[in-house]
Amino acid sequence: MNSKRHPVEKIYMAIIFLFMYAPIVTLIVLSFNGSKSRAKWGGFTMEWYANLIHDSEVLNAMANTLIIALIATIVSTLIGTAASVALTGMKRRTRSLVIGVTNIPMINADIVTGISLMLLFKVLHFETGFLTVLIAHITFDIPYVMLSVLPRMKTISPSVYEAALDLGAEPFFAFRKTILPDLTPAIISGALMAFTMSIDDFIITYFTKGSGFDTLSTKIYSEVKRGIRPEIYALSAIIFIVVLILLLTSDRIKAKAGKSVRRERSVQREKIRRIGVIALASGASIAIILMALAFGGVFSKNSTQVFVYNAGEYIDPEVIEMFTEETGIEVVYDEFESNEIMYAKVAADGSAYDVLCPSDYMIAKLIDNDMLMKLDPAKIPNALQYIGKQYYESATSFDPGNEYAVPYCWGTVGILYNKTMVDGPVDSWDILWDPKYQGEILMQDSIRDAFMVALARRGYSINSVDPEEIRQATDDLIAQAPLVQAYVVDQVRDKMIGDEAALGVIYSGEAIYTRRENENLEYVIPKEGSNVWIDGWVISRDARNVDNALAWIDFLCRPDIALMNFEYITYSTPNVAAQEMIEDEDIRNSNVAFPDEETLSRCDTYVSLGEDGDRLYNEAWKKVKSAD
Amino acid sequence: MSKELITLTHISKSFDGQLILDDLNLVIHENEFVTLLGPSGCGKTTTLRIIGGFETPDQGQVIFDGKDITALAPNKRQLNTVFQKYALFTHMDIADNIAFGLRIKNKSDQYIRDKIAYALKLVNLEGYEHRMPDSLSGGQQQRIAIARAIVNEPKVLLLDEPLGALDLKLRQDMQYELIRLKKELGITFIYVTHDQEEALTMSDHIVVMNQGYIQQEGTPEDIYNEPENAFVADFIGDSNIITATMVRDELVRILGVEFPCVDKGFGEEKPVDVVIRPEDVELVPRGEGCIPGEVTHIIFKGVHYEMEVQAGGFEWLVHSTKESPVGSQIDIRVDPFNIQVMNKPASEDEQAIGVEE
Repeated sequence: MNSKRHPVEKIYMAIIFLFMYAPIVTLIVLSFNGSKSRAKWGGFTMEWYANLIHDSEVLNAMANTLIIALIATIVSTLIGTAASVALTGMKRRTRSLVIGVTNIPMINADIVTGISLMLLFKVLHFETGFLTVLIAHITFDIPYVMLSVLPRMKTISPSVYEAALDLGAEPFFAFRKTILPDLTPAIISGALMAFTMSIDDFIITYFTKGSGFDTLSTKIYSEVKRGIRPEIYALSAIIFIVVLILLLTSDRIKAKAGKSVRRERSVQREKIRRIGVIALASGASIAIILMALAFGGVFSKNSTQVFVYNAGEYIDPEVIEMFTEETGIEVVYDEFESNEIMYAKVAADGSAYDVLCPSDYMIAKLIDNDMLMKLDPAKIPNALQYIGKQYYESATSFDPGNEYAVPYCWGTVGILYNKTMVDGPVDSWDILWDPKYQGEILMQDSIRDAFMVALARRGYSINSVDPEEIRQATDDLIAQAPLVQAYVVDQVRDKMIGDEAALGVIYSGEAIYTRRENENLEYVIPKEGSNVWIDGWVISRDARNVDNALAWIDFLCRPDIALMNFEYITYSTPNVAAQEMIEDEDIRNSNVAFPDEETLSRCDTYVSLGEDGDRLYNEAWKKVKSAD
Repeated sequence: MSKELITLTHISKSFDGQLILDDLNLVIHENEFVTLLGPSGCGKTTTLRIIGGFETPDQGQVIFDGKDITALAPNKRQLNTVFQKYALFTHMDIADNIAFGLRIKNKSDQYIRDKIAYALKLVNLEGYEHRMPDSLSGGQQQRIAIARAIVNEPKVLLLDEPLGALDLKLRQDMQYELIRLKKELGITFIYVTHDQEEALTMSDHIVVMNQGYIQQEGTPEDIYNEPENAFVADFIGDSNIITATMVRDELVRILGVEFPCVDKGFGEEKPVDVVIRPEDVELVPRGEGCIPGEVTHIIFKGVHYEMEVQAGGFEWLVHSTKESPVGSQIDIRVDPFNIQVMNKPASEDEQAIGVEE
């Protein structure tokens, strides 16, 4: 390297590195942040790393990831190496054809590979899970091994192998003594590449994993819905470091193999061999330790199971364990990222999950499409006894007759404001149009929520599909745009905690949480009314374990369990008995968590807008966003 | 003549539809230094690889010491090969390289140690046991390759252009080295080269090949002095190859002038090729020879002068120790004994096959 670089060059390099690594550095820094908020530094902590060790789901996913990666690496390295050796002996035309074909999984878009593998497994009636993910990983790892081994193989003169034969060696012995030693660095490098790719993969794994099985990447992704837990920062930081080490090792091996420093060669080879052995041994021992942890979760399947499909971060993990302990029913638990993704999966395979937890409008859609099963009231006594009548009443807007759903969580949309930055009590959506707070206002980046604010402010229905009303709402939102700091999703929470904005539209569950971090924040449901949402448990029409699913729903309705969940997820519980058991008086009487009957009566649930309504909203939203 | 060791009968081999060897028949005798000589692509290396067992012929048989070994794997054959690019095991030291074959045969450590010492002495590389192949020069590596082969006491040593990668001086040294080795070991050498000088220097028996056919076999003297066709004549040394007409036995018309010669049996007024080696062309004062000519070019080559002479419409190549300056008006004379008459091939194919029939 030339040490006398021009300063401009240095600055340029610095900028490039900044762009590349600033996000990762941020992530690593946040993984040590004592506050759960991204906007506030709560002091240095190892808490998230410590939590990881006790998080059985994450550990399970990690074990899956490593076991899959290890087995896939070993198998694909064997196949890839054998293929490379065989290819070298082929006629040129056949060879380029075969190489072309084997490279397809690498060049092909992951999503296509993933979907086609999923379809194949479906057609062959493979039960998706550990085995299918493993097969998929082996499939896409092989080309990476070949990519590393084949060029090396081409440089090896066959006469060395022939010389060994000539001296009396059996073919395999000759291969092992002559070609294999020359090939070893490339094989190790290929294996490391395959290992990294396997750990790294999300898309193909996602499509081939089926229900109840997660690797780290799919596990992390499923948690995105409710904002990412700081534990995940810690985990991501660890993954980054591990992958970095693997890549550096692989590069070193390649670089060393490439150099042909004469006498030192054998010494280097010895070193390379040692590095390889250490890498493999450490990988293997980690995998073995974790295998023991994961074995039960991965391989055992018994008849007393229930397949649960819930939103990410939407239950206290301890509740799942308690359920299994008390009922003996094993829970195969999966998380979805959005109602739409859940719908797609259930529509594709209705028997994949027994019990689901969608939102109000999605429950309506599932009922409309005849995808749900009516609940047997005799088997859910807790639900009937402890869930408040008013919540059943609200639920009739999407589940007339309360035949399909048991309310699980609910909440409202309102304004979160900072008492020190806003004059007087806030009671109307109008304040979001007050020029005084220019640049201090945060809006939700979601069609329904944005239009809900504008429609409610004018006293219209939040489910309006009247073109004139929508036009007015659109004009209002466009007029408001200059005042808005940003349209965001879960940054409302962080920015408000960090005093970065004065007013924000937010969900009540998040509001409770923000007030723990910043006591100047106040939540209000404006007098014009707002949205109330309800998520409820439903059973898939094609469920295989109906009784277990009913037991699951009823278990969650037990007051002590509902209380545990409320404390964990902080969204309001419709369980009246649980509400009364909340110890913290402030929260028990909080009008954020449990607004009074009068306030609630002003709020509506969203209902499906219909196709024309959707189009109307989408076009209006486009106008608002382009004015923004 | 000593006994037949290797017999190739009716060997044919093609790669990717291209015929490399066509109905090749060859006999190799014990204790001979046999050289397969020819331009690249003539099939000489393929022939060697068939003997070594690295290729299987499409047709024909390989008989070794009375046994058919056509389908025998290379590791089961009693012969060893020295490869063109040495093919040493780069991750083993010299001693391990040499011991490779012996260890496979489960020889005792003492035996192996003795053999290594003996082989290194034989190739003049004593004390190199613990060097790595990469630290040796090309010539040294090639000698190790030979040592590695001969410690196995093969009946036949196959050498595939072993000196091809060496520079001229080293190549000449190694030629003498190989002749010495051959004498000391008393085994059969089958040597492949495209270098006619190498072939002439070392061989007891030369097999000239072209386009998959044997063109001529014989001692180096036979091949040089009595080439049977224009290809051999052209390939071995410099020569003047001239289209001529056989007038009758012992009389040939070259460039319109009748020359007495010693060849018979070509018929009367038959088109033939004649070969006259440059050192056999005499330049004599005008009026004393057969064809008048003029010297157009002269180069001093050390041992002799190399001249080009325009005579009778043909450009003659002449080697002589006597200098004739450019522009000299001279006559050309050729001794009848030095005119080699050959059949003229009627087609390309016939040219390749030669005139054996």
